[in-house]
Amino acid sequence: MARQVGHRFPAREFTVDPVRVEEYVMALGVEPEPEYRAEFGAVVPPGFFMYVTTYGAGPVHDMLDFDMFRTVYGGSEIEYRQPVRVGDRLSVTPEISGVSEKDGKSGHLTFVELTTEYAREDGTVVIVERSNTVQRS
Amino acid sequence: MSLRVGDELPEVLTPAIDRLRIAYMAVSMRDPNLVHVEDSYAAKSGLPSVIAHGTFVTSYAGAAVSRAVGVDAVRRIRVDVTAPVFPGDVLRTQAVVTGADPAADGQLLTIDVTVTNQDGVRVGRGTATVEQPAA
Repeated sequence: MARQVGHRFPAREFTVDPVRVEEYVMALGVEPEPEYRAEFGAVVPPGFFMYVTTYGAGPVHDMLDFDMFRTVYGGSEIEYRQPVRVGDRLSVTPEISGVSEKDGKSGHLTFVELTTEYAREDGTVVIVERSNTVQRS
Repeated sequence: MSLRVGDELPEVLTPAIDRLRIAYMAVSMRDPNLVHVEDSYAAKSGLPSVIAHGTFVTSYAGAAVSRAVGVDAVRRIRVDVTAPVFPGDVLRTQAVVTGADPAADGQLLTIDVTVTNQDGVRVGRGTATVEQPAA
């Protein structure tokens, strides 16, 4: 699987849809940030980009040969370089940035790090997200 | 509001993460993984029941920071999911300022966040970097 490190997926468009952001806030069930509004131009709760699958899991899972029943989400790191607002249209480019393997108590584990860049139309990268997924085999 | 090293941010106390809430999360995320919905599938992964999405943990940790400092002040946040969350669990966050470094126009604060369940088990651990403008 290590041969896929550095694989960059073709860019796709993602719009920060107010309905999706509102669904996210409802899913959590806690009071959102005081400045959040479910409307265009409002701030986006930072966790939204750890929640929403902006690219579509299919192509990524296929490339990594992931079996859904044996994978778990391990966490994320996000850098917010520029403010993002509800309604923004961003281009999303995931890249497989790391694969490592380890034998643990529960069997053989494969850790995959996916780094996703979000850019504005002029190419400015506004968010960089790294997520970790673990597959047991 | 000006934060200093040692300050604690207000905690986020969650509602019970029951099966309906987990199912709603699955639908709203468009997550087809049945480990969150069907016990028999969760059992195939050696789990006693369905588990909640790690997204709950990362999101509540993020909310603890952004609710306190404001969304636009958050520069970076990392959250690791350290233990599974099961139906009925209630989570709470603890966030504390652990560092303050000078930056161009103010300070960059480091905030450590932990998320624990009702039994005190730590289910998530994170670190955030936030910008604090000069007073």
